[in-house]
Amino acid sequence: MSSLPFDFTPVDTPGPQTPDNPHAKATTNCPDAVSALQEQFGDAVREVVEYANEHTVLVERDRIVEIAEYLKANHGFTYLVDLGGIDRFTEEERFEVFYNLVSITTRKRLRLKVRTEEEDPVVPTLSRTYRSANWYEREAWDMMGIRFEGHEDLRRMFMPEDFEYHPQRKEFPLLGIPGSLPLPAQRPGGELTMDPFAAAHGSKPIKSYEETSDTDDA
Amino acid sequence: MPLEQSLGEGFLTTRVDAVVNWARSNSLMPMPMGLACCAIEMMAFAAPKYDVARFGSEAMRFSPRQADLMIVAGWCSYKMAHAVRRIWDQMADPKWCIAMGACASTGGMHRCYGVIQGIDNFLPVDVYIPGCPPRPEAVIHALMDIQEKIRNDYSVAQDYQSGQLPEGRLPQGSHVVTPAGDAPSKLVVHP
Ligand code: SF4
Repeated sequence: MSSLPFDFTPVDTPGPQTPDNPHAKATTNCPDAVSALQEQFGDAVREVVEYANEHTVLVERDRIVEIAEYLKANHGFTYLVDLGGIDRFTEEERFEVFYNLVSITTRKRLRLKVRTEEEDPVVPTLSRTYRSANWYEREAWDMMGIRFEGHEDLRRMFMPEDFEYHPQRKEFPLLGIPGSLPLPAQRPGGELTMDPFAAAHGSKPIKSYEETSDTDDA
Repeated sequence: MPLEQSLGEGFLTTRVDAVVNWARSNSLMPMPMGLACCAIEMMAFAAPKYDVARFGSEAMRFSPRQADLMIVAGWCSYKMAHAVRRIWDQMADPKWCIAMGACASTGGMHRCYGVIQGIDNFLPVDVYIPGCPPRPEAVIHALMDIQEKIRNDYSVAQDYQSGQLPEGRLPQGSHVVTPAGDAPSKLVVHP
């Protein structure tokens, strides 16, 4: 609004390519960083997508740490806002991990992506480059089952630690696997119970969360 | 006329049960198990505008040892259930439980793998409150239902003979009725 006497939020101008797209933002358009990446890393930059003025760079999985460190050191991308897994549900390179980077000094946003196979979904960890990646990677491991090589504390984030599935994968049923999550015992130290949904499927509690239990030595 | 004037230096007689229940029902100490958005309404219920102090329940106790009414406000995940049940087990008897909101009562809109479809799957619930979220008045109503339940229960007489109720001691005009609508011939004593 022009009647405001000051701009407390920097006004973002639409980018040059798509002046009519109201969602296009100049901040997500960073040709400098993209061309520098292409020059520096050559074939490791597999694909550059520009949509609605946003740059998304698909890079080689094995060089993601190098690339992130380069961007952090040379283009001011010091802040990893988000990281997450995507289940593309394809035959090849089923899982994808995206990294949303922000450069506070140049006010730019850049998205990196890597892809990995279904059989052994492994991606090198970024938790040493960006400390915020620590919990994001744990979440992606919990929900998608993507393993982050070199992460020093890759435990589940949300689900119980002995849960056996990765619930955000597309093949996981929305209502869960009956019997995979036991309910507490009806009295202290008693047997774990099951909800009626699981009990209707004939599930019995298979685990115990009691520390003193002798079935728990695994 | 105030009571002391009408009685002079006289005395009142009553049943121990009645006195104990009267005291108990007017000093319920809630354990606020606020798990999601419903907890905001639970705070309003305790705050000055709705003022649950009128019912003697303003003292929220964050220690289960000092509480006798658990208000489970919000959806409960399978992982949280173990903590909730553990806190419930630490509360001293007698204790009561309110399932506040659609989620605590039935799972509500969270029909998914992580959320328990009703906390009555692992807790003995006394009163369910519908609503998403229920208004503080509804929580006060639930509290009054609990009070009514306490006043119609046996507190001392049930210890009379190892949990068995003495013969002929059923309350007259009892509020406790069976689903068929008649007064029960035998009250169910908590084990
Ligand atoms: S019933 Fe509604 S307000 Fe209450 S926890 Fe569920 S979603 Fe939130």
